[in-house]
Amino acid sequence: MSYTLVVAEVRRGVFEERNLDSIGIAALMQKSIVLLMPDGAYEMNGNLVDTIIRTTVQEEVFLNPLNFITILEKTMNSRGQPDLIVFTHSSSGTELASYTAGHFNMPLITDVSGFDKEKNVFYKSYYSDKIFGEFRQTGSGPCIVTVRSGSFKEHIIEKGPAQTTALEDIALAEGRTFIEYVEEETGAIDITKAEFLLSVGRGIGNKDEIADYQELAGLLKATLSGSRPVIDKMWLPKAQQVGTSGKTVKPKVYLAMGISGAFQHIAGMKDSDCIIAVNKDPEAPIFQYAHYGVIGDANKLRDKLKDIAKG
Amino acid sequence: MNLLVFTKRVPATQEEELRIVDEGRGVDLSKVPFKVNDWDNYAIEEAVRIVEKTGGTVTAISIGNAESDEVLRRAIAMGAKDGFLIETDQVLHDPGARASLILNFLKKEGITYDAIFTGVQSEDDQFASLGGILAARLGIPYASMVIAIDAFETDHVTARRELEGGLQERIKVMLPCVLSIQSGINEPRYVSIMGIRKASKVERKIFKGNDYEDNVIPGIEVVKWVYPDKKGGATMLDGELDGICKGLLGILKEKGVYQ
Repeated sequence: MSYTLVVAEVRRGVFEERNLDSIGIAALMQKSIVLLMPDGAYEMNGNLVDTIIRTTVQEEVFLNPLNFITILEKTMNSRGQPDLIVFTHSSSGTELASYTAGHFNMPLITDVSGFDKEKNVFYKSYYSDKIFGEFRQTGSGPCIVTVRSGSFKEHIIEKGPAQTTALEDIALAEGRTFIEYVEEETGAIDITKAEFLLSVGRGIGNKDEIADYQELAGLLKATLSGSRPVIDKMWLPKAQQVGTSGKTVKPKVYLAMGISGAFQHIAGMKDSDCIIAVNKDPEAPIFQYAHYGVIGDANKLRDKLKDIAKG
Repeated sequence: MNLLVFTKRVPATQEEELRIVDEGRGVDLSKVPFKVNDWDNYAIEEAVRIVEKTGGTVTAISIGNAESDEVLRRAIAMGAKDGFLIETDQVLHDPGARASLILNFLKKEGITYDAIFTGVQSEDDQFASLGGILAARLGIPYASMVIAIDAFETDHVTARRELEGGLQERIKVMLPCVLSIQSGINEPRYVSIMGIRKASKVERKIFKGNDYEDNVIPGIEVVKWVYPDKKGGATMLDGELDGICKGLLGILKEKGVYQ
């Protein structure tokens, strides 16, 4: 019987919210949905899929790609091949998906944010969301997709209690092993508590500009934060990063200057009450999420704002 | 240690307006400047730092047209010993097909390695999957989103992977392996024009892509390129700079975050 396989992501005992997007795209396929997940005492809604396969291994073993190919092989040996295998588009989701695609020689489309049933195409972002490709599988076997968080959640359907089965006797790989979780150090500034964030991105140009933004933040009584490129280049400390790999924030006002808006950044700030974006590029994706926008040079705007605020 | 690093020349589309042409069959990149993929820059830096400690060599490899030579010169200027270009004018959108091409190349040319580095993803297609597919096809361990390499020993690596929300996992990976390097893992060294000029004197080897095309069959295809759906979009403030700034401060006042 054909089915859609959803691979659950569980981290530190939490069934990640983004799994609902994986279940959502599976619901669009209108086939039986099978959810494959690790062992552990975590909470989830068991009514959204038809079958749950609970493996007897913990999350850190399950999410290791070398072990996962064994888990998938056992699953397919007992149930046959699914039509589609869905992972989250996250650190571990893409890692598992690519290793699985390589091992089983299956077609792979990552960062999927839309599906057109009539055309049978998946939408995948290119060039930082400026263009999307309509992708189709041409190779044989199940197609693998990783789905962008927030894209398919609204399609989930309450189905009633799922059947649960166990998957046991998983031989563990030695090529890669988990040692421990490491928490990043917390900084002096907690950006998640700020009511007003002034956030800067690559578009401000270089590190020397930071001091002036710091000054503007002081004048406006805002807290300074930044997008990934700014943290990567060490212009601001990691604790001040907004985005999926940094902090998720919901201030009253999020003023983004020189940030184009990669989806990982958007995911970290989209629930702010009011988003104001300043960017040179009128096509920057951030304008799609902002309430107010200014097309222009962030640094010029900064200087003018400083002048006015100083009175 | 002998490390292979894959590096790609990509269009710098951040501030460019992109146009879909040919009824959705293509995207016009003819006026867009090209650069080294940001993630690969970090991967090369990390590889060079490792061999500076352990000895051995870094070989930079690029798949692309003749102009991709520029990213190899750059890698050599950063400390790579060799640069290999697998020359092809074909754009392989499917990372699976690219991995097959690389697999054929490594086998046919008898290239040996202790580890292969790639960037986590390339800026243009954002697939984030070449490293994983390649590792699986080679039958060796893989780790992606590597944000720190704590130790590089003769038979294994201890590394940290970046997860979400400030969490990392520390793992042990046996060699040989493939690691996909995350941006921010290091501070890539500055490359001067003089440095690149000097690197140009190191001969780069060119291999013809069509010599490695056995079983390079894409498993996916692009049917059409489209622009993203426009959502509601923002209310735009325009006019003179002074007026824009006053308007902006007015919004801050209205929201109660600025007096």
